Amino acid sequence: MSDATFMGVRRDQIDWAPSIDYSKCDFCMACDEFCPHKVFERQEGEIKLVVANPKNCVVFCRACAKTCGPDAISFPAKPETIAAIKRIRQDGGEAE
Amino acid sequence: MKYAVLVCGGLDKPLGSLAREVALSAAEEAECEIICPVLLNNSPGRYEAALKDLPLAVVDGCGTRCATKLATKLELRISRRLLLPEALKRLGETFEDSLRPGPLARQLARKLVLQLVADEAEHETAAETAAVVFAEPARFIKVTHDKFVFLIPADGYLFNENDCWVQASGNRARVGISDFMQQSLTDISFFDPPEIGREVEQFDDLGSVESAKAVFDLISPVSGRVVAVNEALADTPEFINEQPYTAGWLVELELADFGADAELLLTPEAYAVKVKAKAEEAST
Repeated sequence: MSDATFMGVRRDQIDWAPSIDYSKCDFCMACDEFCPHKVFERQEGEIKLVVANPKNCVVFCRACAKTCGPDAISFPAKPETIAAIKRIRQDGGEAE
Repeated sequence: MKYAVLVCGGLDKPLGSLAREVALSAAEEAECEIICPVLLNNSPGRYEAALKDLPLAVVDGCGTRCATKLATKLELRISRRLLLPEALKRLGETFEDSLRPGPLARQLARKLVLQLVADEAEHETAAETAAVVFAEPARFIKVTHDKFVFLIPADGYLFNENDCWVQASGNRARVGISDFMQQSLTDISFFDPPEIGREVEQFDDLGSVESAKAVFDLISPVSGRVVAVNEALADTPEFINEQPYTAGWLVELELADFGADAELLLTPEAYAVKVKAKAEEAST
């Protein structure tokens, strides 16, 4: 995914991915079962799920959070992400 | 309007208790009929008459959406839905964290019932927008990948990279999902619309569409105010699959600054390149 772009900006320059609040998460895995982009990854141990591939996350999509019963998933503030994308584009960004 | 109200069964969760209060208010104040999810699951025949006579409204207590999933499993058509965490956000309210609802919860439940059953304001606004004309696409760009063909209107539509389109007409615009996205989702069973009057920034959520396969957040290609939603989709969500660029439109907005928004959108040709890349990536 390293060559992927979003709105002309390299995906790895864009801060957009879910964060899991482990004080709320009950590891029901609904988000992992939902997400077709393999953003999450299951693992052994106390923390059974991590955000392993944040750059696979579709920029501005927050659909996994809607599957979360205990409301344990959050995303960056969208206006800040948009402002950052615009700034990178103005600075030249990446060619499409 | 009267509904059969299928309600969250979360007896061990505060929002489950609130969901039950919403159902009780709907029964008391709007003459709705309550559908118990446990009994429906075990003996669907018990509610056959109610589900035949009344449109179905679903109240989900949390994102697990047990009530919605049960309705989908039983192939029931959902006309209205309330997802309580989102509905509370819209009201700017929080809920007391208790399994025993107090007087405050009952007040809140009455407000939430209005969100569930009231739709007159939407009809008025829909009538007001009827005069705006949105032309049907005259020609399409075809993107082919394996046995799939994805159509993209060649003129009059712009796209964001989240596979949503916008078609502007004067100071109004319609928004929907692309042919590529509707094919990716497969059969769409439900459109969860945004509320009329809501102000949105470009790239804000504009509701979601659901299929058995996935939930897809509609990401607004433009900023503006929601003036109408496609009410026909409550009865015929398949329009989104069959005619994604015309009868399957989702939301109508009054535009705030289309010129500025358009700078961050893709032309049909540029979107075609993206679709090709996405289709190739999906098949690897």
